[in-house]
Amino acid sequence: MTQLRIKEISLHVLKELRKFNKPIEARDLSKKTGLEYEVLMTQAIHELQTLESPLVDFKEKEVTELIPTEELKDYVKNGLPERQLVNFLVDNQFDEISIEEFQTLMEMDKSFFFIGLTNAKRNRWIMQSNATDSPTIYLNNQEAPLSNLEKLIEKFKRETVTVEELPKELKDEVNQLLKRKLVTKKTYTNRTIILTELGKKIDLDSFMVIGEEIPRLTAEMLSDGSWRENIHKLKKFEVQNAGPRLCAGKLHPMTVLINKAREVFLSMGFTEIKGPIVESAFYNFDALFQPQDHPAREMHDTFYLKHPAKAKLPSKKIVNAVKKTHEGGGNSKSLGWGGKWSSEIAKRVLLRTHTTATTIRRLSKIAQNKESLPVKVFSLDRVFRNESVDATHLAEFMQIEGIVVGKNLNLSHLKGYLTEFYKKMGFEKLIMHPDFFPYTEPSLGVTVYVETLGKWHEMGGSGIFRPEVTYPLGIKEPIRVLAWGMGFERLAMLSLQRNDIRDLYRSPLKWLKEIPYN
Amino acid sequence: MPTLDFTIKQMSKLVGRELSIEELESDLQWIALDIEAIDEKDGVIKVEYQPNRPDYSSPEGIARALKGYYELEMGLAQFEVRENSDLICLVDNKVKKIRPYIVMCAIKDIHMDEEQVATLMNIQEALHHALGRGRQKVAIGVHDFDKVNPPYQYTTVKPNAIKFRPLQMEKLELTPQEILEEHPKGIEYAHIVNQFEEYPIIFDRDNNVISFPPIINGILTTVTDKTRNILLDLTGTDLRLVTYSMNILVTTFADMGGKIESAKVVSFDGTEKCYPDLTPEKWTIKKSYINSYIGLELTSEEMIHCLKKCRMDAFPGKKKGTLEVFVPAYRSDFIHEVDFTEEVATGYNYKQIEPVLYEGGSIGSYHPIFKLQDKVKQIMVGAGYLETFNFMLTARETYKTLKIPFDEKHNVIIDNPVSKEYNTTRTMLMPVLMRLLQFNRSEEKPIKIFEVGDVIIFDASSETGATQKLHVCALTHHSSAEFTEIRSLLDFLTQTLGIWNDLEVKPSDNPTFISGRTGEIWIKNSRVGIIGEIHPEVLENFGLRFPVAIFELDLSLVLPEKDQQLE
Repeated sequence: MTQLRIKEISLHVLKELRKFNKPIEARDLSKKTGLEYEVLMTQAIHELQTLESPLVDFKEKEVTELIPTEELKDYVKNGLPERQLVNFLVDNQFDEISIEEFQTLMEMDKSFFFIGLTNAKRNRWIMQSNATDSPTIYLNNQEAPLSNLEKLIEKFKRETVTVEELPKELKDEVNQLLKRKLVTKKTYTNRTIILTELGKKIDLDSFMVIGEEIPRLTAEMLSDGSWRENIHKLKKFEVQNAGPRLCAGKLHPMTVLINKAREVFLSMGFTEIKGPIVESAFYNFDALFQPQDHPAREMHDTFYLKHPAKAKLPSKKIVNAVKKTHEGGGNSKSLGWGGKWSSEIAKRVLLRTHTTATTIRRLSKIAQNKESLPVKVFSLDRVFRNESVDATHLAEFMQIEGIVVGKNLNLSHLKGYLTEFYKKMGFEKLIMHPDFFPYTEPSLGVTVYVETLGKWHEMGGSGIFRPEVTYPLGIKEPIRVLAWGMGFERLAMLSLQRNDIRDLYRSPLKWLKEIPYN
Repeated sequence: MPTLDFTIKQMSKLVGRELSIEELESDLQWIALDIEAIDEKDGVIKVEYQPNRPDYSSPEGIARALKGYYELEMGLAQFEVRENSDLICLVDNKVKKIRPYIVMCAIKDIHMDEEQVATLMNIQEALHHALGRGRQKVAIGVHDFDKVNPPYQYTTVKPNAIKFRPLQMEKLELTPQEILEEHPKGIEYAHIVNQFEEYPIIFDRDNNVISFPPIINGILTTVTDKTRNILLDLTGTDLRLVTYSMNILVTTFADMGGKIESAKVVSFDGTEKCYPDLTPEKWTIKKSYINSYIGLELTSEEMIHCLKKCRMDAFPGKKKGTLEVFVPAYRSDFIHEVDFTEEVATGYNYKQIEPVLYEGGSIGSYHPIFKLQDKVKQIMVGAGYLETFNFMLTARETYKTLKIPFDEKHNVIIDNPVSKEYNTTRTMLMPVLMRLLQFNRSEEKPIKIFEVGDVIIFDASSETGATQKLHVCALTHHSSAEFTEIRSLLDFLTQTLGIWNDLEVKPSDNPTFISGRTGEIWIKNSRVGIIGEIHPEVLENFGLRFPVAIFELDLSLVLPEKDQQLE
């Protein structure tokens, strides 16, 4: 058991209680300990009673105290008027006496005399004879027994009389006292203090008295060695309480998630790539075999730039190959889109709508540099869509993309990579179903099962780049390109528990500080 | 993506067997349909289909695919087209430069119920949107066949040469010109024709107006619940898309019980052709090519079975190892042999394809720029700063709030911003970090935040006209924040990056900062950043009630040139 810490005053009270060793009324204890009643109750008793293992307890009782009047105090000393009358008769050996004479001899206030006379008669201590003209009194019995009322008055010889502790027969006499205006009533709460079992046996020397404690271990205590005698006086902390919030540095949860995905790619042998955000329509759309009149290229989906407005196109070789592929399939054996391909449209400058633009730039170097295969690259970077920003939409977000370039790659391999990638990202169950993307064939959509939500979530797309995309870049059969990607915020919203997607980017600081990494 | 609603009852009837919601919920995805919503009570399923499959714009089209999936009906769906020698459409030479193509045909003996009328409207809308590019390339007119007489004439008229009553404004006789100006559809689609001197028009034999394509039909041929025979016209600028749209429409009508009668289009150049032409398109594909794309080793029979499940016909080709495939006329999403991989994979069922780990070894690495970014984040977090993650899009207005001059010539300007809040990209991090501080200004102090990220600088010499640079910006905000505190952070950062010996802060003056408490950051003769205590006027602009000390540093000097290469 750890050392108990109590106030000095409480220890003092505890010692008194142990000395007394019986239940005691609080007022009495107050006198014994010399403490003010209020101080005793609100400080010492309160502390002793509210310790984790209480040392004292108390019982409360409503009590009615009878306060004697001066008249009663006189009777307590000298007896009631009726007793005084009887005593007079006995002491003076009067067998019979007329009331007139009795009154004269008694030298008593007339009204008290008659009260006494009436009550003595009612108690059958005396009798009255009306045989003569003047009535006479004679003793009924030599030994007038104590009346109940007298027994009650006897009690007032002690300190206090309370109605509750009187025996039944005496309780009935209380009204008599009240009627004779010999007492007044006062009602209050009585608190009886008792030691608990623990309080009865606890070692009184085992306490640490508050006030002697030392707030902190100081350098002086360490250098002069005084910590030895003071170590037990060191302030004890409420270790179960939380401390104040730390003002600390912390990575943004998006960074933590992004790094997790990057690590997954790295572990699978992928190299990170980075490309321009301000991009040409050529790399963003044309090189991906996106027809020039495709709705996705329109203003309401893409941020076009007024400044800079025109990009330079890459080498004539690549541009011509792309042009021919659009118009009639080029050497890709495709029918193409027909119509005329415009280099002016391809020169438009925009904020890239997907990182695939960067992927294409990377792919265009493979044939050029005669790189050995496979080439495995990934990117995790910013992309833009011309959307109004609200709680569920962003105009810019992070996109994850992975690419494998190799010989005879096929749909099974794509499923293999997707299974491995999503497993490492924490999704064991996934469905890979047919889907459509303009620049892949075949295409797969990926739906994952999110354990924490118990729900399936559409996560991303994937596919094998169309020959119309790879041939102009010099990547030809049997070399194929697997690609998969997803919007990163989707993943983030699943694990970061925000209702408003904008919060990922405006970082409510309280949330940043409290959000666990997972 | 386009969507379509159908009831489970309707689909069961079309497919020809009892279907349950649970069954479709798990099966539709394997024919490339995505379930958007399910109304269990009314048995309604809402599906999303891909833009390359406009034949999925009707329950009839989906039922065709499902019948193949369940192997209830395989191979090409059969449609009968009767020739009707009376149905002739004469095309005037004048349409050549305006809207050159028209195809027409009739659907006879059709009794459409409410669901089918809704289907028709849905297809029409879907085709107008997906293939027609907003009626530009294809526009569809549906008419009551019995109200007009062939031969039909497709020609052009002067904007005010004729008057007729258009649909939706039945009470008025309007000229084409007036329709473009006053009619809601006229206003919506005027841009397609109003640059021409004459507008396209379809008359019947007696010069009654059938339609003013691609805008609106005349009321004469209004389709009602009493209509039993339908006349279709499709006009446009791309014959392939026009005929393809017609094929999707008529096959759906045929599935509804209508009988297709073809019409002969007599062109201005004298050529004649009957539409619809539902002859399947023939492709020759190499079995080994398809197999190697999917990772299978299917025999000819197996591959033929797969294709038949996708409602195509296929036969062993003349050349060994090839197949001849016949593609239904309501599908036209084939432009390369590779497109058949998806069909075979769908017929085989994507879920049966085994995931295989590719045995191509390679060594991965991070990009040097991201590596530097990671390193700087670590240093800043170690210094007790919270990382933030901000938009790259920002507002020109924010620069003004910061008293930083915004030069149109040296910034990226977005041509079509959705809002004023995002009309440029950041050239420095300070504006976005200050905005973030403003958003968080009532949070517990001290606030110490930073960001490491790309900024975009206009650069006429670069390929796309702009370059990216990695910057770091950090600020401290509390009752006793001041220059020294942020200077210590700058020292700690540069020391850890190993460039502290080259660091020099030169006193400067700048309205953003308090004079005497700001300087330019120089490293080896290059100005690479700025540091200082924000001027109270700027603090007021941002509604901040405590001082802010901040620095921003361009990190590109830390990396050798070769490591800064972008793809």
